[in-house]
Amino acid sequence: MPKVKIPRKSIIVDMTAMTDVAFLLLTFFILTAKFRPSETVLVDTPSSRATEQVAEDIIMITVDQDGGSFLTLYTTRRVATLNSLIERYGEKYPSLRTLDQKQINNFGNIETFGYNINQLPALLKLSKDELKEKESEKMPGIPMDSVDAQIGDWVNAARATGLDAGLEIPIAIKGDKSSNVTAVKDIIETLRKREIYRFNLITSLEGKID
Amino acid sequence: MAQLDTSGGGGRHESKLKAKKMSTNVDLTPMVDLAFLLITFFMLTTTMSKPVAMQLAMPKPIEDSTKDKGEDVKASQVLTIILDKDDVIWYYEGIPEELTPATLEKTTYAPNGIRQLILDKQAKVNAQFQEPDKTICLIKTTNDAVYKNIVDVLDEMDITKTKIFAIQNMSEVETQAVAAKWQ
Repeated sequence: MPKVKIPRKSIIVDMTAMTDVAFLLLTFFILTAKFRPSETVLVDTPSSRATEQVAEDIIMITVDQDGGSFLTLYTTRRVATLNSLIERYGEKYPSLRTLDQKQINNFGNIETFGYNINQLPALLKLSKDELKEKESEKMPGIPMDSVDAQIGDWVNAARATGLDAGLEIPIAIKGDKSSNVTAVKDIIETLRKREIYRFNLITSLEGKID
Repeated sequence: MAQLDTSGGGGRHESKLKAKKMSTNVDLTPMVDLAFLLITFFMLTTTMSKPVAMQLAMPKPIEDSTKDKGEDVKASQVLTIILDKDDVIWYYEGIPEELTPATLEKTTYAPNGIRQLILDKQAKVNAQFQEPDKTICLIKTTNDAVYKNIVDVLDEMDITKTKIFAIQNMSEVETQAVAAKWQ
């Protein structure tokens, strides 16, 4: 009887294909991942059970630990918002009218804004590098007391840019865990007077399930 | 054309010395390991910090309180929650006019604190009215409460499925009662 020899198969598997797939996936994830925009205002949000995702085109009011309020607008809305604000405050602060188109466009680069509007001309006259430097400084916040409720005007102006196109831009409030609740309530109260009743409170996902 | 001459020697038959052929197979297993490790890392870190939004609808301010009174509310439907500093919650049932420091009680944010309290209240109100969702929670905050507190309580409203709740300002009686509690 002839011996049947089973040919020994090599146990080495070619890994090339697998490497290809793995790196393809890796490249895909790296390219599709979006960087979180650098936050000029540091805020540690409280966690909640809410699961609704936040849209990109929102009007966001950040309230930091010290109760200062800051405005973040979607990139395409910034210049239009500023234009209507200049119209509104031009009489009170004539320096706003001296801004040229280039300086107004400069506002589009400001991610988060937190100054009194009368400081705006000086801010926009800075060059790009100076502006970057300025961003690392602590901003004083937008005035929001009942005498000078600028934050309300900002939100109204930003909202109007959406309403013109028939779009209701959601308004989000992002507060720090340990910021005073009165500061947040003040903002809500200011906006309620301007007939805004719906808010999104930005929170982080609850880690533990209880 | 674009080939390397690997025959070695080339006509020189007297030389029997041949260079040992090296295997061109490279073990790619560690490379795959590394790639998948990186994929896992990127996937985990990108999904970690996604902000979510909690919906909050505030009522329209009523200019003329005599014109629009709305639905009548019975005192037994109402649970008032007052958020204070150091994560303290004060609560009382019924109308604020009858509030005394003695009827103001204290609870915490633990599940067996405020959540159990609301659930108990709901059970009581449901039994009384034979109708669900009649419980009303009034949320008030002192000036020393932090933002996290109000988010936590709004979360509890969602967990206990309380349909009617409102964020209001403290009344004079309540402020006094809370102040008396701290003494």
